[in-house]
Amino acid sequence: MQIDREQAGSDVVLKVTGRLDTPNAKPFETSLLDAVSGSEGAITVDLAGVDYVSSSGLRALLVAGKAMRTAKRDLTLRSLQPQIREVFDISGFSTLFEIK
Amino acid sequence: MTSPSDAPILSSISIDAVVDEIAKVSIWMAELEERDDWPTPLRFGLELSVEEALANVITHAFEDVESDPVIRVDYFRPAPDSVGMRILDNGPPFDPTAVESASLAESVESAHIGGHGVRLMRHFLSHIGYVRRDGMNELTLVAGPKSAD
Repeated sequence: MQIDREQAGSDVVLKVTGRLDTPNAKPFETSLLDAVSGSEGAITVDLAGVDYVSSSGLRALLVAGKAMRTAKRDLTLRSLQPQIREVFDISGFSTLFEIK
Repeated sequence: MTSPSDAPILSSISIDAVVDEIAKVSIWMAELEERDDWPTPLRFGLELSVEEALANVITHAFEDVESDPVIRVDYFRPAPDSVGMRILDNGPPFDPTAVESASLAESVESAHIGGHGVRLMRHFLSHIGYVRRDGMNELTLVAGPKSAD
C-alpha cells in the first residue's frame, strides 16, 4: 500500500494505491488520522489505485469519518473501482460517505 | 457438485496467529487461482471472505488460550465452477455462521466500527458451513454459483 499526500491550501488529498486489507489497515488509519490532525480543511481520499478492500479498511475510513464529523469537516471518497464500490454498497458505507 | 465435506484437499497452508500472516494466504490463493484457472469472478469475494474469517480468528480466538495457536487453510474444489476454502483453528468453539450481520447504519455517527465482515461473506459466498470437530473449529467457505432458493 502506498499513500501520497497532496496539500491544496487547507485541504488535503490522499491518493491511495494497493490493498486496504487487514495487514495494511492500521497504517492506513494512522495516515488518515494524521491528515485529520495535521490539516484544517476538507479531506479527499482518492481510491482509484485501490483494487482490494476488506472490512478492516472500511473500519479505518469510518474511524477517520467519525473524527472528521466531530471536527465538522468534510471527508470525501472518490474514484472507487467497481469491486470496491460493491463492498461499500453491501456494507452500507456508500450512504455514509460522500462519494464522487 | 461434491459435498464440501467430501471434496479432496488439494493444498493447505498453515499460518501463525498474527495479522501480517494473512498476506501469505493471499499470495497462496493467487498462486492457486493461476495454477487451477479459477472462474474469473470468484477470487475477489473468496479472498475477502477468507481474510474476514482469518482476521476474526487471529484477533479473537486465542485471547485467553494457553495452548499454541494452530491455524490452517485447506483448499478444495467441490465443482468445476466453485472454489472452496476450509479454515481450521484450535481456539474455543465459535460459530461465525450464527453471528448476525451488523445493521446498516444511517450515519457516520451511529455506524458501528465492527460487524461488517459477516455481511460481506454472506454476500460473496454460495455456501458457509461450520462444524466443531476434534477440538477444532472448521469453517467452510465456498464461492460459486448461488442456488435460486
